[in-house]
Amino acid sequence: MGMSEAWLLPLLPAGAFVVLTLFGPYLPRKGDWLAIAAIFTTFALTFPIIADLTSAIAEHGPEFGGVTNSIEWMSVPGYLTLNLGVHVDAITVVMLVVVSFVALMVQVYSLGYMKGDSRYGWYYAVISLFVASMLALVLADNFLVLYFAWELVGLCSYLLIGHYSHLRSAAEAAKKAFITTRLGDVGLLIAIILLWRETGTFSIQGVIEAAQAGQIRTEVLTASVFLIFMGAMGKSAQFPFHVWLPDAMEGPTPVSALIHAATMVVAGVYLVTRTLPLFELVAGAQELILAVGLLTTFLSASMGLVMTDIKRVIAYSTLNSLGLMFVALGLGSPAAAMLYLFAHAFFKALLFLGAGSVIHATERQDVSQLGGLWSKMPLTGATFAIGALAMAGLPFLAGFWAKDEILVVATENRAVFALLLLTLPVTAMYMARLFILTFLGEAKEPEAIEHAHDGPPTMSVPLVLLAVLSVVAGFVVFDQVGRAMGFPGGIGEIIFLHEPEVFRFDVAVAIGSTLLVASGLGVGWLIWKERPGLAIIAAIVLKPVHTLLVNKYYLDDLYQAVIDRVVLMASRMLAWFDRNVVNDTIVDGSAQATGFIGYLLKFQQTGRLPNYALAIVIGIVALTLVAFSLK
Amino acid sequence: MEAVTQQIPLEHFLVLSAILFSLGVYGVLTRRNAVLILMSIELMLNAASVNMVAFAAYTSPEQFIGIIFAIFIITIAAAEAGLALAIILRIFRYRKTANVDEIDELKW
Repeated sequence: MGMSEAWLLPLLPAGAFVVLTLFGPYLPRKGDWLAIAAIFTTFALTFPIIADLTSAIAEHGPEFGGVTNSIEWMSVPGYLTLNLGVHVDAITVVMLVVVSFVALMVQVYSLGYMKGDSRYGWYYAVISLFVASMLALVLADNFLVLYFAWELVGLCSYLLIGHYSHLRSAAEAAKKAFITTRLGDVGLLIAIILLWRETGTFSIQGVIEAAQAGQIRTEVLTASVFLIFMGAMGKSAQFPFHVWLPDAMEGPTPVSALIHAATMVVAGVYLVTRTLPLFELVAGAQELILAVGLLTTFLSASMGLVMTDIKRVIAYSTLNSLGLMFVALGLGSPAAAMLYLFAHAFFKALLFLGAGSVIHATERQDVSQLGGLWSKMPLTGATFAIGALAMAGLPFLAGFWAKDEILVVATENRAVFALLLLTLPVTAMYMARLFILTFLGEAKEPEAIEHAHDGPPTMSVPLVLLAVLSVVAGFVVFDQVGRAMGFPGGIGEIIFLHEPEVFRFDVAVAIGSTLLVASGLGVGWLIWKERPGLAIIAAIVLKPVHTLLVNKYYLDDLYQAVIDRVVLMASRMLAWFDRNVVNDTIVDGSAQATGFIGYLLKFQQTGRLPNYALAIVIGIVALTLVAFSLK
Repeated sequence: MEAVTQQIPLEHFLVLSAILFSLGVYGVLTRRNAVLILMSIELMLNAASVNMVAFAAYTSPEQFIGIIFAIFIITIAAAEAGLALAIILRIFRYRKTANVDEIDELKW
């Protein structure tokens, strides 16, 4: 098992999906063990691939560009050739580990969380397909396969967000997620077609090489890059496409963990990382990424402060993190983005699964109804605290290393650096708020938490594993750790994408960021724990701001208004045109005209023999006369 | 003895045939009794037979093609007359009339 056999990885969960879909109801336990076995095997198989890659890097040096293994799928000679293939390099491997591990944790966790669900087997089938699509997406060596997987990811997220399809809100959220991401997907598809027309290839590497050789016209390249970024913005929920992500909380909580940590929203980050060489060729593209990332970070951090739904707060923290990743990409450092993605996967999955435990135990997910759970659910509380602190970026948890790497990259750009520093205490504040309101203080609804307790082992083991990783995952930045785990050359080279840069640690930045995070946590503690009145006073004093934030900057309302006014108006006009012109006039009209003419002509058929005889005679005479006159 | 073909020109036969045919057409168009219409049709068939025989005798007397045609026409006319009379009989039994103006159910 080496890099060339990596195509096997997505096939395992895909096979599980097929078996579960066809035979799920007849399998013991509806086949959940099969799905977990498939994803576990996939996870286990990533290690030989990592070892293979590290030894290849050790052998070929840092210039090693990865292994491509593809077969011809179909071809129209002289016109186009479609390949199916995998490409394994450092980016791919990071994604493989993240996706398969988080998916494994989520599936094990779901054993407890989804127990007794009426569509338990279907849930496991779709989640397997979800993972398979994401693995195919990160392994794809050409844009076409990537696009297939991209759409499948969108489909699976739709199915899973709408899992509780009897709830209207879940159905609406699933629709919203699907349509919003679809807007971006259209851009991606157009970009792929444009690039194919210019270069004649779908291969990602081929397109990048052609672009670097200047074989793509500037205007086409510019358009393609912005359209690719549009796709990434949709999937990764960047402003202005971010509205679907908080609503996606309607799905089962483990699904939220999967979507946020591993399978859905990081697809956009992955796509931009993969095609970053194209962005570097277009003036203004990286600045756009930077601006969008910063804007998303700011909007989401501020909204996270006032949301009361436990899952929504975490959702906004995901937007916050994704914004940071895009900032790193915009600054031209895919390494920092991938490091953050790697660390983020663990603590974000941990946060969601912890929130899931709370919801499972209390059947409430509004922090204004929770509180005082610390003594009832010590394990959940402790792991959740680790996740929250890692998200806030406290040393020496995973989030700290990744966040500081982005900050170090940003030092070259003063304005960006300052803005990023501003978000740190805000992030810390809302994570502190979330933890305090959920686990500490007095129980606001004592009957809700009366019987609350930590979940069964299937739920607590993933929490503990993810908590451990949230603590230690950041240490992969040190080569010694990788070597100690038996990978020649260390893991750092993988995470850092064999760039000349290695992990840069700036003590001043680290101290500064730690102080900011600590102050954020302290203020959060003060406001929501020590002086609960302060939050209320702040809400009253800053009432306009509070209202603005609670209403999500009115962006959802704005979109709704635009949809109601513009889209529905256009739809109504089209519907009117279709109903009156196309349907009533053209389709029905031609039928009615035919019928009317037939009605008139049917009276020719008198049924009387002499009439027919006369017609025959007249006809013959006429024909004869014509024949003679023509002669 | 001179052959008929030398004593009478072909045109006479053709005119006879045309007159017979026209009488037949006139009968078909004007008669209302189905039996009389049938007889008129026989007249038209006979006109055609006369044409055949006359042309055969004048253009290729050594061959029998036209005469054979005439025999076929007579045979088919007999079969047709039998069939048509049977139909007319059934209609008459059923509707108590052989007037074609009253038999007009096969219409819109």
